[in-house]
Amino acid sequence: MDLAALLPAILLTAGVLAVIVADLLGRGTSPGTPLTLAVGALLLAGWAAMHVPTDGRLVLGALRADRFGQVMTLLCCGVGVVSLLATTRGEALRKPGGEFLALVLVAVLGMSTLSMAVDLVTLYLAFEMVSIPSYVLVGMRRADRLANEASMKYVLFGSVSSGLMLFGLTWLVGLAGGTSLEALRAALANGAAEQPVFYVACALVLAGFSFKVSAVPFHFWAPDVYAGAPAAVGGFLAVASKAAGFAGLVRVMGSLDLAAPALEGAERLGRVWPKGSAFLGLLAAVAVLTMTVGNLAALRQREIKRLLAWSSIAHAGYLLLALSVWSQGALAAMLFYLVAYLFMNLAAFLLAGVMIRELGTGDVEAFRGLGRRVPWLGIAFAIVLFSLTGLPPLFGFVAKLQVFTAIFEQGYVWLGVIGLVNGAISLYYYARILSSMYLADPEGEVKVPRLSWADGLLALVLVAPVLVLGLWWGWILEWARAVVPVTLLGMGG
Amino acid sequence: MLSLLIFLPVLGALLCWLLPAGQARWVNLLANLATCVLAGMVAVEAAGSTSYRLEAQHAWIPAFYGISYHVGVDGFAVSLLLLTAFVSTLGVLASWNIEKSPKGYHAMYLLLLCGMLGVFCALDLFLFYLFWEVMLLPMYFLIGIWGGPRRQYASIKFFLYTLFGSVLLLAAVIMIVLKHQTWSIPELTAAAGTSGLLGGGAGGLALAAFLGMFIGFAIKIPAFPFHTWLPDAHVEAPTPISMILAGVLLKMGGYGMMRIAYPFFPEAAAGMGAVISALSVIAIVYGALVAMAQNDLKKMIAYSSVSHMGFVTLGLAAGTPEGLNGAHYMMLAHGTISAMLFMIVGVIYERAHHRDIDRFGGLAWAMPRYSVLASFAFFASLGLPGLSGFIAEITTFIGAFNGPYKLAALVSLLGVVFTAAYYLITLQKVYLGQTPPAYLDKAHYPDVSARELAVLVPLALVTLWMGVFPAMALDCYRDVLNGLASTLSAAHAAVVAR
Repeated sequence: MDLAALLPAILLTAGVLAVIVADLLGRGTSPGTPLTLAVGALLLAGWAAMHVPTDGRLVLGALRADRFGQVMTLLCCGVGVVSLLATTRGEALRKPGGEFLALVLVAVLGMSTLSMAVDLVTLYLAFEMVSIPSYVLVGMRRADRLANEASMKYVLFGSVSSGLMLFGLTWLVGLAGGTSLEALRAALANGAAEQPVFYVACALVLAGFSFKVSAVPFHFWAPDVYAGAPAAVGGFLAVASKAAGFAGLVRVMGSLDLAAPALEGAERLGRVWPKGSAFLGLLAAVAVLTMTVGNLAALRQREIKRLLAWSSIAHAGYLLLALSVWSQGALAAMLFYLVAYLFMNLAAFLLAGVMIRELGTGDVEAFRGLGRRVPWLGIAFAIVLFSLTGLPPLFGFVAKLQVFTAIFEQGYVWLGVIGLVNGAISLYYYARILSSMYLADPEGEVKVPRLSWADGLLALVLVAPVLVLGLWWGWILEWARAVVPVTLLGMGG
Repeated sequence: MLSLLIFLPVLGALLCWLLPAGQARWVNLLANLATCVLAGMVAVEAAGSTSYRLEAQHAWIPAFYGISYHVGVDGFAVSLLLLTAFVSTLGVLASWNIEKSPKGYHAMYLLLLCGMLGVFCALDLFLFYLFWEVMLLPMYFLIGIWGGPRRQYASIKFFLYTLFGSVLLLAAVIMIVLKHQTWSIPELTAAAGTSGLLGGGAGGLALAAFLGMFIGFAIKIPAFPFHTWLPDAHVEAPTPISMILAGVLLKMGGYGMMRIAYPFFPEAAAGMGAVISALSVIAIVYGALVAMAQNDLKKMIAYSSVSHMGFVTLGLAAGTPEGLNGAHYMMLAHGTISAMLFMIVGVIYERAHHRDIDRFGGLAWAMPRYSVLASFAFFASLGLPGLSGFIAEITTFIGAFNGPYKLAALVSLLGVVFTAAYYLITLQKVYLGQTPPAYLDKAHYPDVSARELAVLVPLALVTLWMGVFPAMALDCYRDVLNGLASTLSAAHAAVVAR
């Protein structure tokens, strides 16, 4: 049996065990060891991910080793490293214990598995392997009532939606006569796709994924969870967990929906879900609702983490919109957007963590004059917020350009215009933060935050890509276009 | 050389940030003077040219429909480059005494300059859109940080309004690029011919894309009914930024119309001609009436901008050679005259700390030199023969009257009358009559300083020069716009024939 493709997973598992043991043995004497071990395990796993075979082979009959899974593993490991390091600079849990680190590692392992799963049972297991550590991570601060409430909400919403998903999966297994996506695909080709129960099952599975990516109407947990958790955890969940949700969704939809091989090279999507089919319509409706609700709700937020939470819901809407168009170009655009979203949203959450740490509150009004007192922090945050709005020459703009070009390309002009107008609306609440940081005159005694070089380094590492990749993005586009057909559509390579 | 021209201000902005605060204004001034020199050199090369000169093209993102870094200017673009460099340099003098975070102010100012120059040089739609948007960021901060009491409201209103316009513009651009597989403005213009892109004609996709672009640019101009951000932005912006806003930023809307929207969709534009003419006339008359009703001097001038910009769209809608040339002459004339008017408001606001027309009076006796310059600007703006505003209005009027919408041309004359009325009334209230004793206090109301003269006098000279020798400025861009006019008249004939 060839386990080379599982090397990252094995390294992560080893990391989990090592962290727990080191925490038990070294508690009190060497508090830094578990963190070093966890970061080391993530880095090693990321490095290993770059060298795993990507020829599309099946591993244990349940996972497919290809470039898509490889990239998602790499990204999730990267997000994990940055989140862990940022926790130490954030506003809470500044000395993460062994259990915290182990849970993050397990969640990353789950995300990596989710992006590779081609078996319905594995898919569900991976899904839960992401969810359960997340519940605990959110409630980690036991003394904090908000964190407890957030965790409770998360668990309730999570269990209901994963129940719905499991229900849908059982129908799918029934249709397929087996648990692998390959069997399901064969069944669909033989007429199962026309049965109404297939659509019910699809909708139920979509419900599960909607929870994971915080799409309307399964989004209610997100603002409480992101606001109740430390900013670094919020960022980790908003970025990595959501990316994994999208990866799983794309993996399932892509594996099932292949057109006849005669169309090799051209558009190969659209056999199970042709253009204009009910399922894609549902997806588009969810996407439009998600971005609109997210943006409108964000307009009224005063607390930075809640605001970012609603904004991340809106961004899930843009991603879903790209998915609902269901073309190769749109999938590539979605991948592109996912990468951009990862950089800018992680930066937003982690910088917010630094500011909350210094100011003691996340109220936007408390940021008065911050931009002029700590110029580099202000500039970094301004760049991130403008990128989230989608203004050039930043990464967020190019990502939106990709998504909307793909949508227009398939003729959905109205969907594109709704999305673009939504982007313009979002300026209002992002600019409100800037307005408080720069435009408003500080009132009363001004607290000048003491920031160390580590904070500066963190800001630089997070913000530089947003700026640089906004101008130099051709290679990401080419990569995204190459990954989609090779892996998701099962083409050779 | 164009790249140097565009990015020199960025270098200046970096220097502003690195050097001590006291040096920032000198860096800004030097960068602006260098820009003037470079713009002059570019003008020598490109004035009067119908083809793009000093072109530079480098592949940038070939994978995405061949985005390239592509710059170049013809006579039309270079006339606006000169205006930009000129107004911006005087703007630096006007902002000499900014005290609140001067480093940030001058750095933002230079970034704004980069955006403005870039818009007029870009020959690639992606690059054009990039500069178009990049300009918003410094503008937002310049109004928002250094503006008046309601600056937060005004800056976000400006930002949101223009962003909505930009988004419609972007939608149209995406449609065009998907259909024609190129971002190059010259190639797209050639592809459009006299019919238009996206299949051409006066309906369907071409019309939708034209409307998207039209609204995007109309917000910037600003054309009625998209003008409501302008008075707020002007009133709250600091004087130099008002000068730039009126002098250069508004002209980008007109530039976009003549460089992109109209050449790309001549037939759709011709089809919408009646509507655009009607909106222009409303802007001219309504703008003038609203200006007449203002008590705030700055707001009055802001509305007079709305009124004058109506002539730009009126000339465009007519599509005749005189109409287009007049419209562009209006942009150049208004660029200098309105910059002068805003400086005049700034001068008195600095002394009186209010702008209420009713509370002034008899300033001619308190500040004679200032009052002469103010009257000069007022007369220039109301269209006194011999000054640049007159040439612009009369040419546009002739153009509109030669065009298909004669009634609109006639009604627009009403606006000219109202304009004369509000300027004369204001002149009388502010500068003539009895002087309240407070204004005779020489310590608080000194006459214009040397620095203020250095801003006002060049503007006045250019206004006079453009009024007496219009041919020099016209020669710079006439051939380009005549070419556009023949395209538009062919398109109009095609639409009528159908």
